[in-house]
Amino acid sequence: MDMGSNNVGGVDLSRLSQTEKQELQQFVMNEAQKARIQESIHKLTDTCFRKCIPSGAIKKAPLDKYEEPCVKNCVDRFLDANFLVLRELERLRQ
Amino acid sequence: MSAYAGDPKTQIMRQVQQEAAMQNARQLVEKLNEHCFERCVPKPGASLSSGESSCFTACMEKYMTAWNTVSKQYVARIQKESQNQALLN
Repeated sequence: MDMGSNNVGGVDLSRLSQTEKQELQQFVMNEAQKARIQESIHKLTDTCFRKCIPSGAIKKAPLDKYEEPCVKNCVDRFLDANFLVLRELERLRQ
Repeated sequence: MSAYAGDPKTQIMRQVQQEAAMQNARQLVEKLNEHCFERCVPKPGASLSSGESSCFTACMEKYMTAWNTVSKQYVARIQKESQNQALLN
């Protein structure tokens, strides 16, 4: 957000009270957090779709009994691996 | 809604939310196109065949189901981890 100007998307910021500004700041931080989570979900879906849905044309619509557990495992193992990397880096740092 | 129209704080919040929803939708559309085109149209012909079209329909539904599954699993895991973290601290 451009802090230099008092105008955000046609709204005059100088009309906001101090409390309102703080509320907005909190709101935007929460939204940014949500956006990061959503971004991760998009990336993970991309990765897990490649891994779990056999290549080639798709005939049947929803996930079948092999694909669904595969997608769930894919998410959990991806996060396991993520934590593993963090722990390992932490260990190297010490 | 008109009662809030003049309230600058609410106005900004709504704009931020709309922007986030647009961004989310845009990303989903991009991924749907990318994956389903790759799978359903291996050799692009003069027009989209009926087989390719029905593959697209199935592919889109499959991808969106996968998105929802990933979303639930991811959020559940994040919540579990943050609870564990809270217990440790």
